[in-house]
Amino acid sequence: MAQRLALQRLLALPTRGPLASHGRAFGTSAGRRSTFNVQDGSDFQDRVVNSPKPVVVDFHAQWCGPCKILGPRLEKLVAKLDGKVLMAKVDIDDHTDLAIEYEVSAVPTVLAMKNGDVVDKFVGIKDEDQLEAFLKKLIGA
Amino acid sequence: GKNEYDLLVIGGGSGGLACAKEAAQFGRKVAVLDYVEPSPQGTAWGIGGTCVNVGCIPKKLMHQAALLGSALKDAQHYGWNISQPVHHTWSVMAQGVQNYVKSLNWGHRVQLQEKKVKYFNIKGSFSDPHTVRGLTKAGKETVVTADNIVIATGGRPKYPMHVAGALEYGITSDDLFWLKESPGKTLPSFILYVSLECAGFLTGIGLDTTVMVRSIPLRGFDQASHVSKKKQICFTIQQQMASLVTEHMESYGTKFLKRCFPTKVEKLKSGRLQVTWKNADLDIEETDSFNTVMWAVGRAPDTKTLNLEAAGVKTNSETGKIIVDASEATSVPHIYAVGDITEGRPELTPTAIAAGKLLAQRLFGQSSELMDYDNVPTTVFTPLEYGCVGLSEEAAVQRHGSDNIEVYHAYYKPLEFTVAERDATQCYMKMVCLREREQRILGLHFIGPNAGEVIQGFALGIKCGATYPQMMKTVGIHPTCAEEVTKLHITKRSGLDATVTGC
Repeated sequence: MAQRLALQRLLALPTRGPLASHGRAFGTSAGRRSTFNVQDGSDFQDRVVNSPKPVVVDFHAQWCGPCKILGPRLEKLVAKLDGKVLMAKVDIDDHTDLAIEYEVSAVPTVLAMKNGDVVDKFVGIKDEDQLEAFLKKLIGA
Repeated sequence: GKNEYDLLVIGGGSGGLACAKEAAQFGRKVAVLDYVEPSPQGTAWGIGGTCVNVGCIPKKLMHQAALLGSALKDAQHYGWNISQPVHHTWSVMAQGVQNYVKSLNWGHRVQLQEKKVKYFNIKGSFSDPHTVRGLTKAGKETVVTADNIVIATGGRPKYPMHVAGALEYGITSDDLFWLKESPGKTLPSFILYVSLECAGFLTGIGLDTTVMVRSIPLRGFDQASHVSKKKQICFTIQQQMASLVTEHMESYGTKFLKRCFPTKVEKLKSGRLQVTWKNADLDIEETDSFNTVMWAVGRAPDTKTLNLEAAGVKTNSETGKIIVDASEATSVPHIYAVGDITEGRPELTPTAIAAGKLLAQRLFGQSSELMDYDNVPTTVFTPLEYGCVGLSEEAAVQRHGSDNIEVYHAYYKPLEFTVAERDATQCYMKMVCLREREQRILGLHFIGPNAGEVIQGFALGIKCGATYPQMMKTVGIHPTCAEEVTKLHITKRSGLDATVTGC
């Protein structure tokens, strides 16, 4: 409870770079377990498509400003779910074919995947409440 | 059997992509092959061709970086409190530029996907007139057959192979824009618009830059484009304009080694490069050390690995470029070529794009419109920019005789330079007109800030056959540099002082 209050106070401040990294500090150790960077096509197959747990796939790019805000925000919320959902990060410049295959046209694009199927999706930046709802639906559904 | 695709485009650059996307609009089955052979220094990039990755786009952005440096210096005169000297960090600029280029690579991939154009990242070569095969990076062989094929593989920078160490230690524009760290003290060699533009922005961001020129600036410009006499790009054979541009660069700190040619490049223990050259004027050998040596000695068409012989496509024996007719067709009826790879065409993005689109429209859209290569406007983005459209003064004299042309000119001072106490000595413009009754404008040349923006509008006028009297009837916008074009009245013939003042 105290942790959530502290988070809310942080959120009252303007969301800029320093804050994003500050917010990240909360979830880093937990985040490391539930978030990973996709290495290649077969890695995606193993850890996302064939994953027993639902996976949130964050398609992002170095040149995408909103991605730099959404990424850490999503990571933090995924970490709070204690492994119920995993998060896969895909850099679309490194894995262009994969991104094209999943019909990504703009970044950030986030897919919710369960048993190898895309069950939900959004494009662009979302606030914490919207992300929490998105994740809740993925676990619940 | 039947061919797999209606159209196969080899080369995903300005011309190739435009052609492929246009053809796809007509519901045709289209495929694009794109592959970037890494430079000798190991630099490679994504889809989009030279313009997007190692040409126009990064060049203009870095030119802008340098202009902003000048603006910061001017700003003090306008009241801004900026502590001098102002420093530039290459890696910050490079990352910004490289990130933007990557977003363009991505954009192209998405567009191809949306237009249902099949993309192959393979280096293709002909096995017969309708068949192209190639290996993917993973080594898998792919074979593509098509009814129509368009070759648009462009060109790559040349290396002066007779200079020892040139290949091992030198870089080219292919590498410059992708450097993660500053090139430091640089020697771009020789004079071509590429080397002037690069030397210009490198000096502008504070680097110690020297340009080595084998002969007078004029010659370099000639070598740049191998254009047949009928189709002069305005910035070839423009001695006067080239001199003004280089004079300006010299006054702003770029060093020029004129009438010198390098003989060898060696690497020192410190990692710096020792360049030795022959100074033709003094007939001695000189030497100096640099962090980076960049070659800008021309571009060679990328045909070596295409195996054109298997298709029967003819090339120009001197330039190596593909010979095409007015409809961009090669010696083989169903094989076409557009862009830098073609003989006698400007090496420019807009002409490649337009030619590619019109070709697709002729092939699949019942159009018969050919590409018009006349009066193509262009700009050299040196620190003081040079924009032009139409004939050069020399070309006009050659075509019509000096008695039949009138050259109006003016030295002017941009208003913004006044308070900033900037030297405007090289700010100059000239308009070449026919002398006979109509006085049609043959060419317009402008050196000054935003030259590209200035010339673009006038290009429409020239395309429509504008005349000197019509130009004089056009009211200028005040206060601008462009308005001086509408007020040109002093002729070279009169010998009068061509300096004009504003209000």
